[in-house]
Amino acid sequence: MKAALFNIAPYLGEAERRAWPVPTRTYSHEVAGRSLDMALEQFELADQLGFDWVTLAEHHFAPLSLSPNPMVLAGAVTQRVKRAKIALLGATIPILNPVRVAEEFAMLDTLTGGRVVAGMLRGTANEYVTYDVNPAESWSRFEEAMALIVRAWTEPQPFGWQGRHFRFRAISIWPRPVQQPHPPIYMSASSPEAGEFAARHRVSIGFAFTTAPLAAAAARHYRERAAACGWEPAPDDVLYRVSAHVAETDEQALEELRTAGADTPRRGFSLSNRRVDDAVAGAGYYGRDAAGQRGRIEAQARPMAERIEQGQLLAGSPDTVLAQARRLREEVGAGILEIVFTPMGRERTLEAIDLFGTAVLPRLREL
Amino acid sequence: MTSPIWLEDHVEADGFRIRYVEAGEGSPLVHLHGGGGLTLTPAHELLARERRVIAFEMPGFGDSPENTRHQAMPDLARTMLEAVSALGLEELDLMGTSFGGKVALWAALIAPQRIRALVLESPAAVRPDGERPPEPATPEELVAMLHAHPERVPPRPPSSLDQRARTRPLLARLIGPPRDPELEEAMRGLEVPVLVVFGTEDRLTPPELGRVYKEVLPNAHLLFVYDAGHATSADRPEAFAEAVADFLARHEQFVVSASSSVLFP
Repeated sequence: MKAALFNIAPYLGEAERRAWPVPTRTYSHEVAGRSLDMALEQFELADQLGFDWVTLAEHHFAPLSLSPNPMVLAGAVTQRVKRAKIALLGATIPILNPVRVAEEFAMLDTLTGGRVVAGMLRGTANEYVTYDVNPAESWSRFEEAMALIVRAWTEPQPFGWQGRHFRFRAISIWPRPVQQPHPPIYMSASSPEAGEFAARHRVSIGFAFTTAPLAAAAARHYRERAAACGWEPAPDDVLYRVSAHVAETDEQALEELRTAGADTPRRGFSLSNRRVDDAVAGAGYYGRDAAGQRGRIEAQARPMAERIEQGQLLAGSPDTVLAQARRLREEVGAGILEIVFTPMGRERTLEAIDLFGTAVLPRLREL
Repeated sequence: MTSPIWLEDHVEADGFRIRYVEAGEGSPLVHLHGGGGLTLTPAHELLARERRVIAFEMPGFGDSPENTRHQAMPDLARTMLEAVSALGLEELDLMGTSFGGKVALWAALIAPQRIRALVLESPAAVRPDGERPPEPATPEELVAMLHAHPERVPPRPPSSLDQRARTRPLLARLIGPPRDPELEEAMRGLEVPVLVVFGTEDRLTPPELGRVYKEVLPNAHLLFVYDAGHATSADRPEAFAEAVADFLARHEQFVVSASSSVLFP
């Protein structure tokens, strides 16, 4: 199993948490600068410890993440992370200009000598408000944007694009990607439609904001559809995101998590504005398994013991955490474990990352 | 906008009696059909709103007598140029689809001074090496071969297969090799502005072939119509017609957007 360190680059100061978009009344640029520094520091440490990937994300209008454009953050990461792959999970392609996305990924691939992983996501429901895109067209825009990005990466001659949602008369991107034919693509496959699309297009998948049983079922669906399309996904084609805290003993890890507030049920990001989520759901954003998909996201707000039980949180000593990771390898078939280390102050979080890197990571590789 | 009215007629040219349909007024756009014969799509109607669209049925296709006379593409291209002249047209825009794309290309090479602009839809002048896919055995297979979304296309009559069978000797005789060095050498000197259009889901002439035209033709624009098959204009008529009309109106300058992004004045 491979390990990825995910950092969403949260704002580490005081802010409203029960709204979206979030007002900036309490915003401090010093805190924001420190918050981004801490994300970069974690990425750099992960690289030194031998993590296979570092991963970034795109979220808008909230202190949850100071990375509305992960391409920009990744540009900084290329100067700190010298060995690990840099994965953007992702670019929210339906709300962006696909030609620009193709250019930015190609820039990052060039800056890293071919270490970029191109996540392409639809984003959480609220993202559709950000750039004024109708969520009813989310899937259609996603499919077309991915086709256009791949074409822009691979077509050697200037070309025009006459799409449904996108029209360009002449495209010929510079730089080109280093990885050939193009950087690996990951997409979310929690919904049945997404799993089917990924299987059809031979795209790798990632799970976040879900549970081990739900991800296991979705991964099974993906593998079945891939088999029907004549190919077999490798372990690396399935990524699973999980929160984690590791300490010398189980008791210490759990106690530190409690102190950090991890036992208090949290409201999911996209549900912090229920009216927005309802409107987006009403537009058909969640697809044919809408109840399941919304339930999956609501289920993020659970007590700690349940989150551990559901495979949403790895917590304990190195041995315990390794056993919990083994379950994800076996149940979900995930080959890449993407870890969000629970924030508990700069030093303590770095120590947890360090302990994971030295006491769990070498054995994780053998799973 | 009312739909244009299509008028059908025949013209005598080069010893053939050639059927054509036309609609619209203004600058003439002549269309040469693909190997399956003349079929009108909504794209023809859209293009006929701004110009005079003339779609020929080439000798040997449809209900015309078997064409045993033409031995090579340039022969057919010359006949079609004569048919255009017989309609009193000196200068024209020319559009060819698949097989007709190769005819149109030859016509432009023979009489470049007469062609204002050339549109090649899924042209068959360059084709994949190796085995050609087997001829469809049923109307359903034919639709699946040509369209990105067969489920959206009305069923074709079984007679469409008979027509294909009847013209097969003519197509086989005229189509030429997958790569034709003589043609490509001539293409390098063609100054006429060319729009080369491929559907991203084209299984007969994959869109990757588009780059060959772009490499060889000195004044070509390559355009991919997303989610369209070999029958590009039938699969995405609005997308196809918008680009073609803009190109015919503005030639190379069509790369500069002329659409407004103003939401509210």
